Amino acid sequence: MSITKTLSGAKRQRLSLIFLVVGSLLVLFTLFVLFNMVFRQLVLDLNGFLEAVNDPLVISSILLTLYASFLATLIAVVLGTPLAYVLARHDFFGKNVVESVIDVPVIIPHSVAGIALYALLQSRSAVGTAFYNLGIVFEDSLWGIVVAMLFVSTPFYVNAAREGFQSINPRIERVARTLGASQWQAFYKVTLPLAIRHLFSGAVMAWARGISEFGAVIMIAFYPMIAPVLIYYRFTTQGLKGSQPVAVLLILVCFVVFMVLRLSTKYWERRK
Amino acid sequence: MRKISENGLTKVQSVMIGAVIVIALVGGFWYYWSTSTGKVVLKVFCAGSLTLPLEEIKVKFETDHVNVEVQIEPSGSVAAVQKITESDKLADVLASADFTLIPSMMMPDYADWCIRFAKNRMVLAYTDNSRYADEINSTNWHEILRRIDVKWAFSNPNMDPCGYRTPMVIQLAELEYGDNMIFDNLVVNNSAITVTEEDGIYQITTPEELNPDTARLKIRDKSVELVSMLQEGGIDYAWEYMSVAKQHNLNYLELPETIDLSTVTYTETYKKVKVQTTSENIVGKPIVYGVTVPTNALNRELGEQFVIYLINEYGQNVFLDMGQPPIVPAKTENMDNIPESLRTYVTE
Amino acid sequence: MIALDEVSHEWGEFCLKNVTFSVDRGEYFVILGPTGAGKTLILETIAGLHVPREGHIFLDGKDATDLPPEKRNIGLVYQDYSLFPHMTVEENIAFGLKMRKIAKKEVEINVQSIMDSVGITHLKTRFPSTLSGGEQQRVALARALVIDPAILLLDEPLSALDPRTRESLREELKRIHKVRGMTTIHVTHDQTEALSLADQIAVILEGEVIQVDTSFKVFNEPVNERIAAFVGVENVIKGKIVSNKDGVVLVETGKYRIHALSNLVEGEVNVFIRPESIIISEVRLKSSARNSIKGKITNITQLGATFRIRMDNGLTALVTNQAIEDLGLGVGKTVYASFKATAIHMTRR
Repeated sequence: MSITKTLSGAKRQRLSLIFLVVGSLLVLFTLFVLFNMVFRQLVLDLNGFLEAVNDPLVISSILLTLYASFLATLIAVVLGTPLAYVLARHDFFGKNVVESVIDVPVIIPHSVAGIALYALLQSRSAVGTAFYNLGIVFEDSLWGIVVAMLFVSTPFYVNAAREGFQSINPRIERVARTLGASQWQAFYKVTLPLAIRHLFSGAVMAWARGISEFGAVIMIAFYPMIAPVLIYYRFTTQGLKGSQPVAVLLILVCFVVFMVLRLSTKYWERRK
Repeated sequence: MRKISENGLTKVQSVMIGAVIVIALVGGFWYYWSTSTGKVVLKVFCAGSLTLPLEEIKVKFETDHVNVEVQIEPSGSVAAVQKITESDKLADVLASADFTLIPSMMMPDYADWCIRFAKNRMVLAYTDNSRYADEINSTNWHEILRRIDVKWAFSNPNMDPCGYRTPMVIQLAELEYGDNMIFDNLVVNNSAITVTEEDGIYQITTPEELNPDTARLKIRDKSVELVSMLQEGGIDYAWEYMSVAKQHNLNYLELPETIDLSTVTYTETYKKVKVQTTSENIVGKPIVYGVTVPTNALNRELGEQFVIYLINEYGQNVFLDMGQPPIVPAKTENMDNIPESLRTYVTE
Repeated sequence: MIALDEVSHEWGEFCLKNVTFSVDRGEYFVILGPTGAGKTLILETIAGLHVPREGHIFLDGKDATDLPPEKRNIGLVYQDYSLFPHMTVEENIAFGLKMRKIAKKEVEINVQSIMDSVGITHLKTRFPSTLSGGEQQRVALARALVIDPAILLLDEPLSALDPRTRESLREELKRIHKVRGMTTIHVTHDQTEALSLADQIAVILEGEVIQVDTSFKVFNEPVNERIAAFVGVENVIKGKIVSNKDGVVLVETGKYRIHALSNLVEGEVNVFIRPESIIISEVRLKSSARNSIKGKITNITQLGATFRIRMDNGLTALVTNQAIEDLGLGVGKTVYASFKATAIHMTRR
């Protein structure tokens, strides 16, 4: 009896079912590619994987990658949130230019971006010297990694944040003003809480994008090696056998982190 | 329900901000603690095929020089040189898979001297699973590569010396085997690479867009990618250095010395082929590794110390094991500019 | 209390041109105009959300043109209520008090009291998305009132509601205004609303304030044809309810009695009849129309395809040329003006 009920219920949801089937092709595609790699590593060469897990260089490389991208995302959030708000609320002369400039890092080949960053920031350039005098060196350092990651992940955050702010009716902010809120209070107490989901999702995207950056980082900071660089280095010297364990470990770590983030977001939402 | 305190920060918000600050600080401390070794960094730019032997040498060097950290950055040889000459990067040691790049691209602005320390030969690498693996030998390989079900590959001539050496070998094969269709069948018909002959000199041209017919021929930027493709079974044969084939436990076919760019005796023969890449015209010559300490290196003396480890008896044994026969003793074109510390190891 | 002096401003597709009017303390001031006339823009400018390109705004005698909105002590209720979706009803209402840094205990008391007086205490832990239109409107009102503003601005507060809720909220607004006596500016396109609530009406068309007057004058002595056309109600008759039987009301106007439909049981009323609803006949009609009033034609004016007939019984009718010819209508002729009870609008006066 329940089967017929399910079937008739399914008939009513026909469009959603079709969409689900079509969409699942994409999910399956990604899943198979990753699963194949992970499976082969864990089943056919478990030792290689365990070696990688126990290798301090691998661990610190992965931690460095996550941490550097975290810093880059932090900068993007602190500087990008005000920018996104202005872009969402105001029109001004040159706004199109600004928005296009923000999107450029998405189009630029990564190595080109990396060379550009290096040329600007290396300690013997005009800008680099100024930083050098402050004790900040970009080439072959965490700063260089963060800058390269920031460059490529900024568009993801700013665009998500801007859409988040745009989705909030400005009237709500105006009402808050009339009730006695200053501009900052209206933003902080009304706009921000309403946009927080978009901001968080954008930040996660930016963080993910930073973790995967290779071409730009390797130009400005080969060392200390972030995971993508380590994978490349091991590929050069040991081929697939040496690099795949690290890649698989990185995939698993990132997968777990993202699951945790998604679940905690759901939990947070439900508590409201 | 959520608690709202007087100044507006909810408990959740405070926890989150706290977590962010903690992560940032803890991470910062961890980073500084792990990288503030106080060690001097010795930067080595090298060709991909030298990475393994240099890694071994690095371990010994670091053991002997406790306050030094050797950082190896592998890439294509041309890319390595360009990092110094075009991107304004600094290295203490530059080791190239083609020693001629040092005088042609780096001197006089970035280098004074060049030491030839090891050599290599071009081989055809393959696995037990490659098609016709049990049939192939040093006389029929060019016929097997012509078979329609065989997939083969070499690296990008514009980015990697192993890449421009391959067409050289194939063109020289025409002279060796008396078959003037080898190059046309294998290379011209499967890509945008062309050749013209004048007075016995073969000028090969490799344009930016190589357009390989990927059903038969694949071209990759780095020769090490070819190793994976062989291991995966994506291709049957790849043109590699003997060292690479040996280091990765691949089967390899040794070719006649007259064509495999390995022997100084045949230098005149090798000269008969030239390859015009997107950056320069390269004349065929034996594959010889070269090393220098760039003039703008931050740690010149230390760099020279490291070079010693390449050309002394220890280094020679390392390269021998790796399938890259050392040049004993190491040679140079011109002794005048060789630094004091290296003079005893080098001859002209 | 509030004065606008030559205020001009543009914002998006809306504009204001040389708007000048003043509102007395405690007055219920209605700004009446069609959609797109700039009504919301006026309110937002008074609230301080826009700084006008030209002109000045005076609050309580002082030039407040540059004063930021949070310092103006004004309550604003938008047409779509604009409640904070991420806060409960209670938190929404408490917001303004919190901004004024009022002690927690006092905030609770004030919020409770306003919720009681507006009748929404049972909703206090609900979120706006779960409320009906009428409930949301009350919350928005409570939120604006709890801060005890000197001025209350209402932007089409009743337009999105169904007729029953609209009527009850309209009474609510009247009651609140009576009890608190605060200066109120109410913006609407609905003439009935204007008439029943306003002490004064400002008619605004295309960004310009054309006429500022008492309701009666606006509807009976429109300053120009545009207002008359906008207002379009040519018959506004004062009367008193005599009886109400099953929803059918008998109104005594002094000259005659009118049958109308209404829930009102007694009191002074305004009766509105559109001139087109009136049928002219030579003899008293035996028809479904409940009202048939005798009168002598005092004036016939041609308005394009129609003729406007004025009678000495105070009624104005709109008829076609054909009707004039067929009935042989002319000034001085005695006719009957008939109209259905259902054709009548009626509000308390």
